[in-house]
Amino acid sequence: MSPSSAGTPPASRERRGWAWLGLVPFLAFLGLFLLLPTVGVIRKAFIANDGNFTSDGFTSAITDERPAFANSIKVSLITAAMGVVFGTTIAYAAATARRPKWLRSAVSAFSGVAANMGGIILAFLFFTLLGRQGLVTKILTDNGWNPYESGFSLNDFSGIMLVYMYFQIPLMVLVTLPAIDGLKTSWREASANLGGTTFTYWRRVGLPVLAPSMMGGFLLLFANAYSAFATAYALNTQANLVPIKISFFLQGDVTGRSPLPYALATWMIIFMAISMGGYLILRKRAERWQR
Amino acid sequence: MSNRFTRWLGRLGPTLVLLAAAVFFIAPLVSSFRVAFHKVPTVLLDRHTWFQKWSFEGVRRAFDEPNFWPTLSLSLRLALITVLITMALLVPTALFVHLRLPKARALVEFFTLLPYVVPPIALVAGIAAFYRANARWFLNTDYALAPFYVVMAMPFTYRAIDAGIKAIDVRTLVDASRSLGGSWAMTLRKAILPNMATSLLSSAFLTATVVIGEFTIASTLAKNTFATFSFEYFGRDAQGGIGLALLTLIGTTGLLGILTLLTRTKSRRAMSTTSRF
Repeated sequence: MSPSSAGTPPASRERRGWAWLGLVPFLAFLGLFLLLPTVGVIRKAFIANDGNFTSDGFTSAITDERPAFANSIKVSLITAAMGVVFGTTIAYAAATARRPKWLRSAVSAFSGVAANMGGIILAFLFFTLLGRQGLVTKILTDNGWNPYESGFSLNDFSGIMLVYMYFQIPLMVLVTLPAIDGLKTSWREASANLGGTTFTYWRRVGLPVLAPSMMGGFLLLFANAYSAFATAYALNTQANLVPIKISFFLQGDVTGRSPLPYALATWMIIFMAISMGGYLILRKRAERWQR
Repeated sequence: MSNRFTRWLGRLGPTLVLLAAAVFFIAPLVSSFRVAFHKVPTVLLDRHTWFQKWSFEGVRRAFDEPNFWPTLSLSLRLALITVLITMALLVPTALFVHLRLPKARALVEFFTLLPYVVPPIALVAGIAAFYRANARWFLNTDYALAPFYVVMAMPFTYRAIDAGIKAIDVRTLVDASRSLGGSWAMTLRKAILPNMATSLLSSAFLTATVVIGEFTIASTLAKNTFATFSFEYFGRDAQGGIGLALLTLIGTTGLLGILTLLTRTKSRRAMSTTSRF
């Protein structure tokens, strides 16, 4: 903080220039602990063992690890789509419920908690529920249907996706709840007064207003699932997903020579930049109705 | 009559949705509670065994693990350091942007969101790529994790601090304090920070929660934090591991949830940021 007074008239042009110096600690910190590692990843993805520039490692990562990419994209697309559907439905149900009064704040507080709950603990909780010895597995088996005999397993993608829903749905609730609050009762009344049915209201007013939040939420959820490591790792340390491959190759790569983990990480950064960028743009648009 | 019936039917859908959601979200907590405190294997579970052998034995075993206290203490120290660095770095930056450099606001906000683009698993690849080669001594200390946790938490810590500043009229507070002869240090200590206490507290709690649960970076860099210990211990002793996981959940996330509920009434705006997104 600069020691000069805040009560003086607006600073001259010259002093404005100096004011940027106040951001130096912040920018230096980000430079050291975010920019340098990021540049390090990208550099290693493109530098061959002989020190020359090559994009071979970067492109061959996709062909070498095609199943991991395919699985990661599949898991992320499916859990994001289901998260959008269930999250929006739950948010709408919670937002429109009049009673009990505490319901809405309870749903939003719990969503804030559960959206952050991804990780090893979440995986442990689900082992007790749907693992081979899980409570629900036991109840279902006792009633004549063993999910493990029908192709379900907590260790494969069916299980991983189910567990991901535990943080994907609440995240979507957090994203859409403000947007749903932004739907004004007067719009519905206006639509009805002009002779619109419930269907017209949703088609012409409701969904167009919610659309940016829902699309933005989809991108956010996609990024969230694509980059999730701990939950999947705890469910299955061998799962063929991009984040787990990165960790596997990093730990195996003692010499630091293989470009593979860094190429995979660079691809992840590209994926994140696109989906998070889209999310932030759409969020700006969605906020237009949330005043 | 029929009108009332249709209205009842209209409420039925949302009610069922919320009930189904409640079951999905509460069931894993219930089943893990049983495993943690009930020493009956699931296979033998029936009407007769349901009321037998409830105990705290699993949790007690976890406490007796030789690595329990050292790793917990490391994670708590990391959480404290991360919170302190976050406050020391972001509070002055956010205040500075508000008071002296408003035109940099969008830019700074954009920078604080960049960690979303480099998720933990990519960040740890970067740490390996850059710091393993250039500053191995730095990575050798356990505390090297803290600055990266600051970066990881930055998108929401900055948002919470920023919302805290927006919720109070900083400019007026500063002008009032300065015109009464207060120094900058005194203005900060007596006028600004007390008014931001709620948002600072919630962002500190959220940061601590993230640090204590952080597994990706710690495990890839082979650090013995509480999260990596919990993972390793769960592999050996599921009951104790689950007990530990539940306690961690109550100790971090549960506190955060209570904090969210308590402070919600005070300032809606600041609280909407008590989440990672």
